[in-house]
Amino acid sequence: MTTVTGSQAESPSPSMPTPPSDHRGSWIPSGAMIATRCMELRKRRGLMITLILVTIGIPTVFLLIRLLLHAFAPNTYGPAGGYTIYGAMVSGVLYTFGFIVAAVLGATAGSADLTEGMFRHAVVTGRSRLALYLARIPAGLAIIVPLVAIGFTIVCAVCVFAAPTRLQFNGVTVPPNLSSAGLQSWAADHEAEVICNFGLDIGPSTPGFSTLNTVEQNFPCGNGPGPGAKQPPGIQSQPQPTQAQIREAATIIARMNYADYARQFLYPSNSLMIKSGLWLELEAVIGFVVGLGLASLIGQRTVAVVLMIVLEVVLTPILSRAHLPHLSNLQRAVVGLATAHLSPGGLPVIGGGGGGPGGHGGNAALLPESTTVAVCVIVAWLVGWSVLGAWRMMTRDA
Amino acid sequence: MSTATLDDPSTERRPEGQWAVETHGLTKRFGDNIAVNDVELLVPRGCAFGYLGPNGAGKTTLIRVLLGLTHADAGTMSLLGHPVPKHRDVALARVGAIVDEPRFHGHLTGRQNLQILAAARERAARDRIGPALERVGILHRADDKVSKYSMGMRQRLGVAACLLGDPQLLILDEPMNGLDPAGMQDMREMILSLVTEGRTVVLSSHLLDEVERTCDAVAIVDRGRVVRQGPISELLAGATFVVQVECTEPDRARLLLDGTSFRPQVDVDPAGLTISLPAGTERAVVAEINRVLVEGGISVYRLQHVQASLEAWFLEVTSRLGGPE
Repeated sequence: MTTVTGSQAESPSPSMPTPPSDHRGSWIPSGAMIATRCMELRKRRGLMITLILVTIGIPTVFLLIRLLLHAFAPNTYGPAGGYTIYGAMVSGVLYTFGFIVAAVLGATAGSADLTEGMFRHAVVTGRSRLALYLARIPAGLAIIVPLVAIGFTIVCAVCVFAAPTRLQFNGVTVPPNLSSAGLQSWAADHEAEVICNFGLDIGPSTPGFSTLNTVEQNFPCGNGPGPGAKQPPGIQSQPQPTQAQIREAATIIARMNYADYARQFLYPSNSLMIKSGLWLELEAVIGFVVGLGLASLIGQRTVAVVLMIVLEVVLTPILSRAHLPHLSNLQRAVVGLATAHLSPGGLPVIGGGGGGPGGHGGNAALLPESTTVAVCVIVAWLVGWSVLGAWRMMTRDA
Repeated sequence: MSTATLDDPSTERRPEGQWAVETHGLTKRFGDNIAVNDVELLVPRGCAFGYLGPNGAGKTTLIRVLLGLTHADAGTMSLLGHPVPKHRDVALARVGAIVDEPRFHGHLTGRQNLQILAAARERAARDRIGPALERVGILHRADDKVSKYSMGMRQRLGVAACLLGDPQLLILDEPMNGLDPAGMQDMREMILSLVTEGRTVVLSSHLLDEVERTCDAVAIVDRGRVVRQGPISELLAGATFVVQVECTEPDRARLLLDGTSFRPQVDVDPAGLTISLPAGTERAVVAEINRVLVEGGISVYRLQHVQASLEAWFLEVTSRLGGPE
């Protein structure tokens, strides 16, 4: 083999010395890497428009239409906001669509460099491939988390400020947010509505039984005695109740119904909104991280997005409810089921998630799963897909 | 071939060695196909080095192995004296490269693409974006989306990306692709200016004329193996000595030359003869050819010693290798 002689290399060396350590081999991405990666995603106009339309546009348009309808025909169309609308928007729209758009963003972040030929340029810089991968996580989350937050804030704002002003409890219009004493005081002034409409189940051991019985048997409620009253056997008809007895009975009935009344809201509580917001963000984070890992693993965006949609829209609802003998532990490993079990109590069950009104992640329709297991499943999904995506990126030919 | 580890301690001992690129026994296989076969390559610092080979010879694969874009199956290598892949991060800190067609994010501007790449390098790289764009002549289009760039402009942007790291070594894979004649001239001048600054430029190209004009030394690769390497002047000195003759009666002239002591290979064409003589033939032979022809009654109108070109030498080497072994 003929070789070039070293004398040819005697021309002056470049003035640049070997650079000082810039932690290029470190797996920790620099702030500039994260910022530019975020810019790369943000500049995808079509993707950003889609994300904004889905996370912000759909709830905004839906609520705007309801606001307009209620404004022009309040007797036909109810208020745009309120507790029920909130539950539907959070569990039905933001939960499912938030996951899907986050997955689309993650899949884009995971595959764009490969498909557009930039991966090779990035690797040639000598920067750790793991750092190149990890830079995408905060960059993507910096986009999807605020978008979900904005969409959720709009929903909260409309549901709170355009909520019904009167509460319907057992068909009676009742002032909202009363304390127990307040409800009793209000009941004393509206004894007829309370006695005839509020639920009542009395027995001999019920405090104030005789008064309640007297009033219940003799108070005129339309065509008959008040609803819900059960006549104990062997009880004789009582004389007409006095006004004082009626007021006392209404007060007692109000006190007995307060627990049910307290669960009726015009609009979601601050606590529920905070929990719901965090839950939606968790779902978006899962969607993004899993989408990123999956797309990095297979090197394609479209396939990854389709798989994520199938997981969220088809597999999760089925596996969350189906009873498959011997496979229940496998079903519990589905991340959608785990997040459904972590849903705040008070949200309806729609699609794959929701703990049900008043529940605490224990909706009977879902396959039972403890909170600990649910958390472990979610962590495993986040870590597992990140490891897979990073491993593929580190070993892939560029 | 013996299988060696990729991190040869002997290479580590002299990180400031004289070679910009040094490989020993480098091998890369794709299944049964050996794309890079036991390559021994020594690229001196501070020169323009051409890397030539027919299509499918393994040029790009070797570059990809050197840059860590794919792993080697055997052998050792170092860039700028740093063993790769063990100290890949240190080595690549001062290496810029274009591999295959330069591709970028089309939805971003040229400047934004460079910002992404600069962010992966040292902090000073961000300050080099403007000068790099200016140097390759696309500063005026720096804020246009890359999707609107021509192929030539993407090539220039690729070179600008190489310059972000203030490289001591540039590895350019077919940098002339897509460039118009003026662009090729600009690229050639830029490569020469980079070499003048003391940088090393490794140029992989099938444009032999460009390589000959630009490079000081070359390596020829065939079937994954480096078959020749060295300074162009030395390599061409080993090429066949060719003399073209324009004369009357070329067939009779050929018979006359066949009877001479130097026994040339003579090809006859309508215009005259093409005489090939072994490498190292002295110029006096040209006068001897003329004498033999004139004394034989042949009228000689033109007699010229043809300087061997890199292209002719390349074809000679590769065709010889391409035959049955």
